[in-house]
Amino acid sequence: MTRDEIIDLFIGNAVKVAAEPLRVNNNEELNRVLGPILAESESIFCPSVTDKEKAVQLPPEKHTQDYASASVCVEEVSAAIAETGSLVCSSQGGKPVQAGLLPAHHVAIVSSENIYENLDDFFSTLGNSPPTNITLETGPSRTADIELTLTIGVHGPGRLTVIVY
Amino acid sequence: MSTSTQGIPFRTNAAEALRNATLRGAMRNATDTFTIKRADALSGVPVEEWREQASAMRLHVLDNLSDYVDRFEKNAARAGARVHRAKDSQEARERIGSILKDHGIGSVVKSKSMVSEEIHLNNYLETQGVRVVETDLGEYIIQIAGEGPSHIIVPAIHKDRRQVGKLFAEKLGCEYSDDPAVLTRIAKKILREEFLSAKAGISGANFAVADSGSIVLFTNEGNGRMCTTLPPLHIAVLSIEKMIPSLADLPKFIRLLPRSATGQILTSYMSVITGTRKPGESTGAEEMHIVLVDNGRSEIVNGEYREMLKCIRCGACLNACPVYRMVGGHAYGTTYPGPMGIVLTTLLDGMEKANPLLEATTLCGACEDVCPVKVPLPQLLRRLRERRVEEGLTPKLEQTGMAGFGKIVKSPFLFHLGQTAAHFLWPVATKIGPKVALDRLPRPVGKIFGRRVS
Repeated sequence: MTRDEIIDLFIGNAVKVAAEPLRVNNNEELNRVLGPILAESESIFCPSVTDKEKAVQLPPEKHTQDYASASVCVEEVSAAIAETGSLVCSSQGGKPVQAGLLPAHHVAIVSSENIYENLDDFFSTLGNSPPTNITLETGPSRTADIELTLTIGVHGPGRLTVIVY
Repeated sequence: MSTSTQGIPFRTNAAEALRNATLRGAMRNATDTFTIKRADALSGVPVEEWREQASAMRLHVLDNLSDYVDRFEKNAARAGARVHRAKDSQEARERIGSILKDHGIGSVVKSKSMVSEEIHLNNYLETQGVRVVETDLGEYIIQIAGEGPSHIIVPAIHKDRRQVGKLFAEKLGCEYSDDPAVLTRIAKKILREEFLSAKAGISGANFAVADSGSIVLFTNEGNGRMCTTLPPLHIAVLSIEKMIPSLADLPKFIRLLPRSATGQILTSYMSVITGTRKPGESTGAEEMHIVLVDNGRSEIVNGEYREMLKCIRCGACLNACPVYRMVGGHAYGTTYPGPMGIVLTTLLDGMEKANPLLEATTLCGACEDVCPVKVPLPQLLRRLRERRVEEGLTPKLEQTGMAGFGKIVKSPFLFHLGQTAAHFLWPVATKIGPKVALDRLPRPVGKIFGRRVS
């Protein structure tokens, strides 16, 4: 598959699991799609470690270091998997993986070159000493425990925005 | 036929379940929905090839189980976890209790784990003064209702929304609502406080990876992630057969488990947790204990029922089983219901206690058709049923009846006589006999097959 085909497959599968995928090509476009999301949020956690995270223009009054109380978490995740529409959140490099879990809205940036075509391609890279936590995140938090009625946003985020950059 | 006098009173339970219209409606809704979703999720994929591969991989692990358990123990320790082996339920419970006691912990958050139900962990911890908070919504519902799970994937499936609404209003003091979204929000709010203040979290594991010492958890709500990343102490409890060789083998099971369980391509979250937080990391428990529960499995794996240990607990056989679909999980009176539950319970708890469950099957084979790892459930059930007869555990009336029937069919004369008698007595029987029962029987065919065969 070509890179564009892999990206299209990923975006198609992310839509199927009720994530909201967007595609951007530069920092200007990144901030344009983030603008409305950040404007309507109450407080934002962003690790500001990677170049793409640093490029995010955060409203200073909403910026918080406490992800447990933030309403939005904006971060770059380490990879994605096209086959399942999943994001790969990893503790590698000191990332708090739980920061994308506690806020009601997770905004995940994924670099287009870090999208794997399928599960095998990703898991064969891990070896025998992976980071402490690797979580595949596939759509928002959900439950169907009452009469199998789908309810979004149980313990984890009710909204998952995915920005392919 | 009389009911069995010993063991689990399945017939009484089943009769009671069948009289419960709410339960039957809930079970029909759930099992139909799951059956359709599973079929959708597996259409257009090479499912037979996947099942073959997954089954072969599980068999390979069982062939070398003790090696894989040793390897897992070594690698989990290398990653910073402390591994404990428990030969039975009591040892497992006590070990977990003592870990919590050593840390002076009086309250834990817990994510859904069937093996923790198998070892009756919650009851034990409560007696030790530890408050256990189940955080999966379904588990939370049955915990505050004081019940056990009725399905291994959706534990509160036997309750409808009005029952959950009433339960919440009564036990949590909130306003009555029968809207699942409102009820979910109420539980979320209460449980978020618990997560943020918890000093310890208990989880199960769907798989354990021998080469990396990782445990793998599939969840939809996010509670499993919270239990394993927020508290400083994490205790994972799992049974020894959950092993897979390496992380590269995981995709085989990722493709089958959620599709078979809920009809999802993948659950919202799937976490691979490898030991404790390493230097420079900001995620992971500071202390991790892994309790490996044997509970008879080391023996089962060497016997004729070993293939039962291939099971990955997806629940597809429950949803497909005509008996389970009618009576629900509680009628079985066991931790694990449905076809896999009958076999596993008989192996874990013994024939004496579990044998009445062997009546809870039609041997139709639907369970085997849907099993993602090709556990030959009908064969295992048949073999256990044979053993039940051999051990003289079937009801006395059944034993006498079958012995008499055996005598008759072995003798061409008696067989012919019986058929002729049935033909002539049928009109009389339908007039004086129990109509409901007789209506279900095929009518005696009389002359066509009544020819004497010598």
